[in-house]
Amino acid sequence: MASRPAILDSRILRVICPLQRRSRHLVNVADQSTVQRPWSHPPASVNIDNDQVARLASRPLHPLTLADLVRHGRPPLTAETLFSSANFTLSLIPVRLAHRIQALRNLPFIVVSNPHISRIYNYYVHSLSTLLPYQERSITNLEDEINFTEVMADLVQTHSNTIPILARGFLECRKYITPADVTAFLDEHLRARIGTRLIAEQHIALHLSSQPHSGKDSRYQPDGCSSCIGVIDTALRPAEIIRHCESFVSEICELKYGVRPTVVINGQQDTTLAHVPTHLEYIITELLKNAFRATIESGKEREPIEITIAASPDPSPSPLEDIQIDPPTPKSESTNTSNSILPESCIPGVTIRIRDRGGGISPETLPNIWAYSFTTFGEDEVMDVSDNGNVDALNAISGAGGDSSSLAGLGYGLPLGRAYAEHFGGGIQVQSLWGWGTDVYLKLRGLGRVRAPSKMASVKEASSTDS
Amino acid sequence: MPHLRPWGLKKIPAIRKSTPPALRRIASATAPWRPAAALDEWVQKEARPISLRQLTFFGRTLTETRLLSSANYVRTELPTRLAHRLRDMQTLPFVVVTNPHMSHVYELYYKAFERLRRVREIKSVEDNEKYCKVISETLQEHLTVIPRLAMGVLECQGLMRPQEMDRFMNTLLRSRISRRVIAEQHLALTETFNAPWHFPNAKAPPDPNAEFVGEVFLRCNAREVVDDCWTRAKRLAEEAYGPGCALPNIKVEGHLDATFPYILTHLQYVIGELLRNSIQAVVERRSNPAESPPPIEVLVCEAPQHVIIRISDQGGGIDTSIMPELWSFSKGSRIQAHLRNLSQVPKMAATMQELKLPNPSSEALKDLEMANKRPSDGSLSSLTSRPPNLRLGMGLPMSRVYAEYWAGSLEIHNLEGYGVDAFFQISKLGNKNEQLSTRASMDAV
Repeated sequence: MASRPAILDSRILRVICPLQRRSRHLVNVADQSTVQRPWSHPPASVNIDNDQVARLASRPLHPLTLADLVRHGRPPLTAETLFSSANFTLSLIPVRLAHRIQALRNLPFIVVSNPHISRIYNYYVHSLSTLLPYQERSITNLEDEINFTEVMADLVQTHSNTIPILARGFLECRKYITPADVTAFLDEHLRARIGTRLIAEQHIALHLSSQPHSGKDSRYQPDGCSSCIGVIDTALRPAEIIRHCESFVSEICELKYGVRPTVVINGQQDTTLAHVPTHLEYIITELLKNAFRATIESGKEREPIEITIAASPDPSPSPLEDIQIDPPTPKSESTNTSNSILPESCIPGVTIRIRDRGGGISPETLPNIWAYSFTTFGEDEVMDVSDNGNVDALNAISGAGGDSSSLAGLGYGLPLGRAYAEHFGGGIQVQSLWGWGTDVYLKLRGLGRVRAPSKMASVKEASSTDS
Repeated sequence: MPHLRPWGLKKIPAIRKSTPPALRRIASATAPWRPAAALDEWVQKEARPISLRQLTFFGRTLTETRLLSSANYVRTELPTRLAHRLRDMQTLPFVVVTNPHMSHVYELYYKAFERLRRVREIKSVEDNEKYCKVISETLQEHLTVIPRLAMGVLECQGLMRPQEMDRFMNTLLRSRISRRVIAEQHLALTETFNAPWHFPNAKAPPDPNAEFVGEVFLRCNAREVVDDCWTRAKRLAEEAYGPGCALPNIKVEGHLDATFPYILTHLQYVIGELLRNSIQAVVERRSNPAESPPPIEVLVCEAPQHVIIRISDQGGGIDTSIMPELWSFSKGSRIQAHLRNLSQVPKMAATMQELKLPNPSSEALKDLEMANKRPSDGSLSSLTSRPPNLRLGMGLPMSRVYAEYWAGSLEIHNLEGYGVDAFFQISKLGNKNEQLSTRASMDAV
């Protein structure tokens, strides 16, 4: 997998964000995580004016598209476009954080008093406080940009692995809040979180591969692939990701069950699209785990799991040839930004069908497959999860999203996978054939929703990389 | 008052576009004015849903009393249900109902209502015989309703919001199914009663497997129905595309022994529509007609509560731009082509008994048609047996109405650029946990 895109991880963060700086903010929260604290009013480590939060939260959320994330053109960015990226990031993140803070504040008092939830709350308050100094000004020099990127790195770091904390918090609070309320909160929260992290990670990645910064640190090679723009691979091959995830899940299966089902990939295996590799890895891993487990448990491991990749025909390229160069880098040959608006239906899309013979989903289970299943756990199940005693090997697999180290057994896979898929206008549909198998349809939209004509440009990167 | 609005017509919505040519032609041809009182009276009555058990067990212990009570049930039920639909139509915008197709349907319904509401109580077997004749004639007359409605809907595009038009169509079609089922049931009941082998007070057959086999519901075998529909669909395709065109093969797998009670023509219609869609997509996608196309894969999956028939093709899938209107009767695209094609169907429906296909070799097909024909369901046969390239644009929405009417479902999953998976779920109505409520609420329309 030579062309696997770089995935942001803690190594990178360490490189760009020296430990002392990061930990300065994190001392408090680190303590909280190790010491079992009683439930109490959340002691915020930082204080933010209520006015500030309210002011920011009253601003509408900008609907994020993949096109937004590639609008600054291909790396390496010049200093100027890097500033533009930083300012764009700065225009989005504080508002997003404020919206999250407000949603958390609107939860019942006793829920936010839970040590786990209050930890999450404090993370958000902390992150917003680090951004407030950048309010009302824009980033115009390299020093500011470096500092800002460190703040972004801190944000990404602070909020990694927070889903299990949230889950545990809500698990402990299940007497005080209804499953429906938890689901509603999580649906919104997790989706928002995906976007916020992506914006921050994208800027960090662009920073690392930018002209002013790349090459300074030889330990980090920004890209193994030429098609990457930050965390987005504009020529992502789903077939490659599927094979990668397959071998990963297969190995765990072999360890746990002693067998590994086979996977047959057919359809348009050469197709590519612009997407976030880590997201796709997470989704595919979750779907394969389900398919593998069902196949093995129903004794059908001889029946291959059939994965079909379908790519919608490219919209006729002619209108896209009159590409208008978007302001950021008019001279850069790498930009293919365009002001032409693609109708939604013409956006290149890929459908992946995962068809197994694992006996399907029972009619009783089917209505609940999209629920975060821990929200309806009984006492026994709570004990199992808390002890990590009853976690099967497949559940213990951590996803590639970097969020899942201890998602084990909490029943997050499918709803979170769908949240990732829907984030850029795709989706997951499940069709159960009870007594036979399951067909899962994963739809991916390459370049996301297209907004009304405005100065925001739509970008057609996917097809341009083919030429 | 610019328009006669004696029945409380709603205002014409502002979204109305310029009047299509077809409407200008007929602007004066409005329905005759009728006093609303009789209709009002019937609209007050609630439809009394027939239970599924009544429908499936109806032939059990047939006596004259039961026959007459069935007749009187139908006698009040048909005008009641028609009245509700007439009122629905009356509340449509004036401009919609004055469309020639719409007003044709309206007139048909109104005449049927007037005829049926005047029938006196049925007190003897002779009364019943006369009544059955009235019902049969009405059923026959109404064969043109579906194509006419479909054309009306297309021509009235822009005069109503598409969602409202679809809701109207769905209600109308469901109600139509329910009326035809009730009427047919009674006709079959009468036929059974008159049959020489019928003995009053005959005991139910002891074989529990036979318990749901009746005149309305037939014990359908999934494999047989699929094979049968495939044979027809393929023959029609052969005629349409000529001998030089290689057609796909079919691969059927899964629980092939699955059986369930169902109305055969409904089943044939839905499966037939799906198969012909698949054949058409596969054939038309190919550049070289002699090249052997990928097979159409059918899976039958039987579970305790239902049977799912999955039809997968590799016909290239559905263009994403069509997806939003896939289930709509008032489609935006290809409207002219659909209208042209639809205009051929009423003729076919009218001469349904001697179905004319362009090619004389359709004799065999006619035989097939005759063998499976149920006289009162002729409207579906004319649709089922139309040539595959005669696109009407209403196969899927109609099929869904039929599927949902019997507490089932129809879903399409599109793999654009590759193919389509269709999932037709059939409720096993004879199951012990039958969904009477669903059925009842559907039946009440």
